[in-house]
Amino acid sequence: MNNTLAKLAANTWVRIGFAVVVAVVLVVLPLVSSKYVNYQLSLIAVFGVAILGLNIVMGYAGQVSLGQSAFLGLGAYIAAYGVVEGWPIPLIFVLCAVVPAIVGLLVALAAARLRGLALAMVTIALPIIGIPLAKRLREFTGGSQGTTVSWLRAPEWSGLDHDQWRYYVVVAIAVLMFLLARNIVTGRIGRAFRVVKENESVAIAMGVSPYKYKVLAFTIASLFGGVAGFLYLGIVQYTSPETLSFHTSINMVAAMVIGGSASILGTIIGAIYFVFVPNLANQVNPQLTALVSGAVLLAVLFLVPGGIVSLPRRITQAIRAVRRRAGGSPPETPQSPSDRVPAPATTRPKSTEKKNEGKRQGQ
Amino acid sequence: MEYFIQLVIEGLATGSIYGALALAIVLVNRATGLINFAQGGMAVVSTFVAYALFNAGAPLALAILGAIVFAFVLGAFLERVIVRPFERGDPDTAVVVTIGMFVLLGGIAAFFFGYEPRQFPSFFGLETLNLGGVFVSLRSLGTIVVLAVVVVLLQLLFRGTKLGLAMRAVADNPESAALSGLPVSRLLMIGWGLASVLGVIAGVLVAPQLFVSPGMLDFVLVYALAAAILGGLDSPLGAVVAAWFIGVIENLAGAYIDVIGNDLKIAVPFIVMIVILIVRPQGLFGRKVVVRV
Repeated sequence: MNNTLAKLAANTWVRIGFAVVVAVVLVVLPLVSSKYVNYQLSLIAVFGVAILGLNIVMGYAGQVSLGQSAFLGLGAYIAAYGVVEGWPIPLIFVLCAVVPAIVGLLVALAAARLRGLALAMVTIALPIIGIPLAKRLREFTGGSQGTTVSWLRAPEWSGLDHDQWRYYVVVAIAVLMFLLARNIVTGRIGRAFRVVKENESVAIAMGVSPYKYKVLAFTIASLFGGVAGFLYLGIVQYTSPETLSFHTSINMVAAMVIGGSASILGTIIGAIYFVFVPNLANQVNPQLTALVSGAVLLAVLFLVPGGIVSLPRRITQAIRAVRRRAGGSPPETPQSPSDRVPAPATTRPKSTEKKNEGKRQGQ
Repeated sequence: MEYFIQLVIEGLATGSIYGALALAIVLVNRATGLINFAQGGMAVVSTFVAYALFNAGAPLALAILGAIVFAFVLGAFLERVIVRPFERGDPDTAVVVTIGMFVLLGGIAAFFFGYEPRQFPSFFGLETLNLGGVFVSLRSLGTIVVLAVVVVLLQLLFRGTKLGLAMRAVADNPESAALSGLPVSRLLMIGWGLASVLGVIAGVLVAPQLFVSPGMLDFVLVYALAAAILGGLDSPLGAVVAAWFIGVIENLAGAYIDVIGNDLKIAVPFIVMIVILIVRPQGLFGRKVVVRV
């Protein structure tokens, strides 16, 4: 049964059909949902982009980063400043992507010399320094009160409500960012990231500079964080030093791991988790939120280390193991490679990686 | 000049609190090779135990003693039940595990006690001494003395006892230690228990100042991590020296450099840390690790 599912997923037409269905749902959803639901859905897109950046540097390139919230906040502040000054929105968007990327690049040029935990410390320093800095630079940031803006309003001709218009803008940009990320991680850069993550010495031996690719991963992550900051201001219309809080970074790391590290689909699941679960726990009992987050994270690490995205695979493995132990009929083609393929997002890199390793050696 | 000395002593006192937690981080890192982001969370939960015991009518000393016992059990328990399966695996996963524990422990504290900060009495009272024009609070002096005593006791434990020798053997090479008949599992649990005790000492020392709340040690933890990394993750002495250094330099920069002031002084130790790490990635006192391919 699962075998046929995997075969279906590999079929191009099925995948195109699936993409069309997803696109239709994404387009129709805000038209039939309440303002509150649209707000939540937009937030998923916002944090999806931020977690995607985190996943690139941490999940794919294997460099622990606890500073993603700093770039989210930086992007949001740049957007807020631009809106207050009345800059054109495309310019604001470009600045929101480029400035955090440059900051990320500069930090990474220094930090990428370090390994593992020292790196985690340098990155955790970013939000910790960022918060008092944001409070201090009052002319730009509005100090502790933060900045409230009103922008990204629905134009007359569209006939949409503001929340629907904002949803479309944010989701459209988020989809583009996800496609960009997918191309990055399935391409040459993504393969280099994986080698660096696996073993830096091997990477050097293969002619892949770990330093260069770590810096690159950080820069990309910062760029995604900055864009997410732009989107954040578009939806929330407000930013304050709290946006930078390192708790946000830690929760994003947790969401990324829970969804599935080194997986695009896992990033989306992680973003849904990031927005919805604290919300749900909050409605039950606000004092329960952190408890639930921590418990879920640990449970995932214990039960499905690959994140929720790997759950279908784990379940089929478990079923097969039970069947085998029961001595029943052996499962059809247990070792067939398509069995191990839960989602299209992870099929690509595996096959291309092998092909390219051969190529690399031949060079 | 008096003001300067005062600042240095206050800096040493806050540095001592960072130092206690930094020692805990170094201890765990030496024993199990991972950085425990939950060190602060463990300390907070244990400090809440001290708070609860004290409010239940126990004398302060007894409440603190109870919290120390609780902390030891908690540390040993977490190592055995949660951390053990991840210990020799991927270090990045292990870091995320400790982050999960950090969130979970904060959540447990919040669930039982809420987020409202609660007052906690100081073990050293509130008097201030006048030493030839230099005003020093008894609490600051007490804090420094406690850390000094802790360092000496740890040195005695690791250099002078069989238990300490065994723990060093496990930290050095768990496989050989196991082959020579050492109970590695139990020693790792003791290591985590001791680290957890160091954490609660930091928690109890800082509680009168910061009040007891689930997030009370978040920043202390970050400073402690900075100190541990700055000192080189495997050097207890390095961690303490770095923690004192951080405490003092932060205080002085905040007081004397106008641009920095009280709000931005938190940036100073981190910028120093980043600069030092770039020059010496292994930290001030750490050994350079050579990786075999």
